[in-house]
Amino acid sequence: MIQQTQYTPTPSKYNFPQTLQDTALPTRFIELSLRSIKNIANQDATLLYQPYETITENAEPAEEITPIFQGQTKLKLNTIPLKPSLMETPITAVDVSSIRIGETTTGILLAIRAAIVWKNQRHHGYRYLRIGPFPFHITEENKAEIYQLFRQYSLDTLTPNTTSTPNLLHMQTRITTLLERWLQMNIATHSQNSLILWDGSLTAGTSDSPTHIIAQLLETARNRFNTVLAFSKITRLRLSGHRLTDLIQKGKPPCLLEMDGYPVAPTNTIHFLGNIYVAKLTHGNCSFRLDIDRKLPREQAVEAIQRLIANDQVSESYPETLRLAHIYSTFTANEVIAIQRLLAQTHHLKTITRPNIRRLLFGPFGKGPEGG
Amino acid sequence: MRLYRKEGNTVHILSFPTENAEKGDYLLIEDPKQNKALITQIIDVQFANVPGILEELLRDSTNGSCEHLKGQDFDPLEVASHVTYIQDSRLLVCKIRASLDNGKLSPTSAWLPSRSQSIIKQLPTTSLLNLIKINHGLPIQLGETKEQAPLNIDATALDGKLNIVTGKKETGKSHLSKLLVLSLLGHGAPVVVLDLNGEYAHLAFGADGKNNEFNNRVHVLTPGENFRVTFAQMKLRVILNVLVHALNLPGTSAREFRRIWQFLDERAALTLHELGEAIRNWRCNQHVRDALFSRYYALVNSGFFTDNPSEAVSLEDCFQKIRSGGALVVNLRETSLVDRQIVVEYVLGKLLDLLTQQKLKAVFLFAEEAHLYLRETYWDDIVTRMRHFGVFTTFVTNQPDTIRENIYRQADNVFLFNFTNEHDLEAVSRAAKVDVETVKSLARDLPAHHCLLLGTAVKDFPIVAKVKALNVQTMGQTRLFFTEKN
Repeated sequence: MIQQTQYTPTPSKYNFPQTLQDTALPTRFIELSLRSIKNIANQDATLLYQPYETITENAEPAEEITPIFQGQTKLKLNTIPLKPSLMETPITAVDVSSIRIGETTTGILLAIRAAIVWKNQRHHGYRYLRIGPFPFHITEENKAEIYQLFRQYSLDTLTPNTTSTPNLLHMQTRITTLLERWLQMNIATHSQNSLILWDGSLTAGTSDSPTHIIAQLLETARNRFNTVLAFSKITRLRLSGHRLTDLIQKGKPPCLLEMDGYPVAPTNTIHFLGNIYVAKLTHGNCSFRLDIDRKLPREQAVEAIQRLIANDQVSESYPETLRLAHIYSTFTANEVIAIQRLLAQTHHLKTITRPNIRRLLFGPFGKGPEGG
Repeated sequence: MRLYRKEGNTVHILSFPTENAEKGDYLLIEDPKQNKALITQIIDVQFANVPGILEELLRDSTNGSCEHLKGQDFDPLEVASHVTYIQDSRLLVCKIRASLDNGKLSPTSAWLPSRSQSIIKQLPTTSLLNLIKINHGLPIQLGETKEQAPLNIDATALDGKLNIVTGKKETGKSHLSKLLVLSLLGHGAPVVVLDLNGEYAHLAFGADGKNNEFNNRVHVLTPGENFRVTFAQMKLRVILNVLVHALNLPGTSAREFRRIWQFLDERAALTLHELGEAIRNWRCNQHVRDALFSRYYALVNSGFFTDNPSEAVSLEDCFQKIRSGGALVVNLRETSLVDRQIVVEYVLGKLLDLLTQQKLKAVFLFAEEAHLYLRETYWDDIVTRMRHFGVFTTFVTNQPDTIRENIYRQADNVFLFNFTNEHDLEAVSRAAKVDVETVKSLARDLPAHHCLLLGTAVKDFPIVAKVKALNVQTMGQTRLFFTEKN
C-alpha cells in the first residue's frame, strides 16, 4: 500500500507569480508525479538503476537550428550602439531543468524543476519562485498520458492532439520544453510592460514548439506590452565562415550586431519568429545570440534591450535575472540523492548501480561516460 | 549509521542527523553473521562529502537573510527536507580499539565486518568498562563519564607505573593530580609531592577552611622553615650530587671536597661551621678553595642547612609517618631555583637510600613542572632505575615539550587535558599508548576539567572523563591584581 504524500501549496509572499499557483497545473503535476511513481511500487522488483552519467536537460534544444541569411551581403554588418534607457521596467526570466534520476525495469525516472526570477524597482532586488522538483516515472504505458497532460497545459487546449507521443528516450527533453512553454505563456499572460527573458531562441516548428503556439505566445506578450528576449548561450551563427559572436568583439559594448539579410531555416517546417542579433552588453569575452520578436518594430526591440541593461545587472553580457533562473532550476548531485532517498522512503525504491559494461569488457580502456 | 570504509585501523562511518554521536564516543560494529564485533572510538566528526553541496550552499546562501535575493519554493513533495538531511549527514572517523569474538575481547582486528549487514550502535562507557573488566579492588573515582556514570580506575594501575598529567593552563591538571594524591593516600599509599607552587600545602583542609579527613596524613615541609637538615644527616653521595648537579662544582674541586668531607666525617665534625673552617685551612689550590667557598656560601644562604640538631628534620621519620598512607608535600613555592635543586637532590637522594635499605616499600612521587628543578640525568634515572627501587612518578606539566620523548614512550598512563597548540599536541602524541590522530583530535576539543585517559588504567581504551570536584583548598589559583572587592 503506497501512502499518498501530503502536500501543502506554499503560500505566496510575493505578488507576481501568485497567478501561477492559482492555476491547476501544479496540483495536476503533483498528482501525475505521484501516480507515475506509484506504478513503480506496483511492479515486482522495485529497483532503480542509477545512470553512469547525469543527463540534464535545460529546456534548450541541444541542436541549434542555424539559419541561413538570405540576401546577406558580405561584410555588411550593422552594429547598433546601445544607451541604457532609464525607464523603469520589470524583468522576468524563466528556466526549467530536468534530470535523469535512474532507470527502472519498465521505464525512466526523471525529475523536473522550474524557476522564475523577477526584478522590479519596488523590490530593490530579485525575487524567485522555484517549482518542484517533481519526479516522474515514465513508462511505455503512461508516457502518452504524461505527454498529453504537458501538451494540454503547455500548448493550451487549442492544439488538437495529433502529435504522436515521443520515444521514451526523448520524453525528458520534450516535457522539459513543454513545462517551460507553459510557464512562458503564464508569464506572458500575467505581466505587463515587462521584459520577459527566455533561455534559448525564438525558433519554432518543432513538435513541442509548434509555430502557431510560439507565435501565439509572442502575440500574447505583445498585446500586454511585454517584450520577449531570448538569449542563446551557445550559437553556431557564422558569416563567411566567421563566428558572429567573434565578429562583435570589435564593437564597443553595449551594442548589438544586426545581420543584414533574412533568416531562412534548412527545412520548411522551421520558422524563425525573432530577429536575430548578437548582443555584447558588457566588456568581457562573452557575447550571445539574441532573438527579439520579429513583429516588434526595430526601434522598440532596441529600446527593450536598452531597458534591460538599465534595469538588470548584466555580467559578461548575460542578464542576472536569467542567470539566477538557471541557477535556481539546476539540479545538484545531492538533490538527485535526495530524490532517490525520498523514493526509497515513500515507495521502498532501492537504488543500485548497473554493472559498467565498458569497464567489464575493456578494463582500464573502457572509457565510458563516467570517464577514465 | 552505516559502515562506509575501513583503512588500516581507521573506520569511516556514515551517520545521519537524527543520530547523536560525538568525538570520544565508542561504537560497536556488530556483524551478526560472523558473530563478531569491532569496538571503535570516534576521533573525529566531519561532514559527509556529498557531491553538489558547494553549489547548494552558494545558491542558498542568500535565502531569507538577504534583501537582494528572496524567494520561495513550491516543493509539495518536500524534497528539500531530504536535501537538508543529506547535507547534514556526517562522517565519523573512528579508530578500532579491539574486537569481540563470540563475546571475547581481543586486541586484534584482522577481520572485516560486512558493510551491508553490520549493525552499528553506541557503546556507553559504562558498558565498555564492564567489557574491559577494569579491576575495582582499590577504586579511584576520577569523575564521571559522558553518560554521567561514575568513572573509577584502580589504584593498582598506578602502582609501579610512570604517569603523566598534562594539559594547557587552567584545564584542571593540578586538580586531577590532587585527586590522585588523596585517593592514593586514602588507599594507604605513601606519596611525596614536589610542590612547585605551594598548591598542595592545604590538601588537609576542606574548601571551607576546616580540617578534613586527610588532616593527619598530609605533612607539608617548607625548606628553610620547617624543613632544615644537618650535614650529619647527609651522605657524601648526596652532598656531592647537590654540589655537582645543583651548584655546578667542577670535578677537581669535587675531589677536594670529598677529602674535606671524609676528614670531617672521621672526626664527627660535619657541621656548617666546621666545613667553612676546613675549606679555609685546607691545603689546596686557591682556585679550588674559591670554588669550594662559593658553593659553601650557597649552601649556607639556602637556609636549608643547620648545625642545630633540634631544628633539623629527619626525613626518615617523615617517611615513617606516611608509610601506611600519607603525603609528604615539599613546598618549593618560596624557594629559589638553586635552592630548589638542592632540596630536590636531597629529598630524592634520601628517598633512594630508604628504598635501597628497604626502610620504605615504595613511594608515589608527584612532580609538578619537574623541568624547573630536576637535573637532566634524573629523568632517565626516575623512569628506569628509581622505578625498580619503588619510586613511581607522576609528572604534572603544562609544557609537554619539557618532558623528554623517552619518558612519553615509557609512560604507562597519560591523563591528557585540553591542548590547542599543534606543537604541544605533537609532543604529547609521542606517547606509545595511543595513536597520534586520537591524541591530536580528542585533546583539541576537550572542555575544561575533562580529561582523556590513556594507558593501563583504562586498559588502553582512551576514555574521556569529567574530573570530579574536590572538597579541598586548592590554592592553585593565580593571584590576581584586579580582584573583585567584597
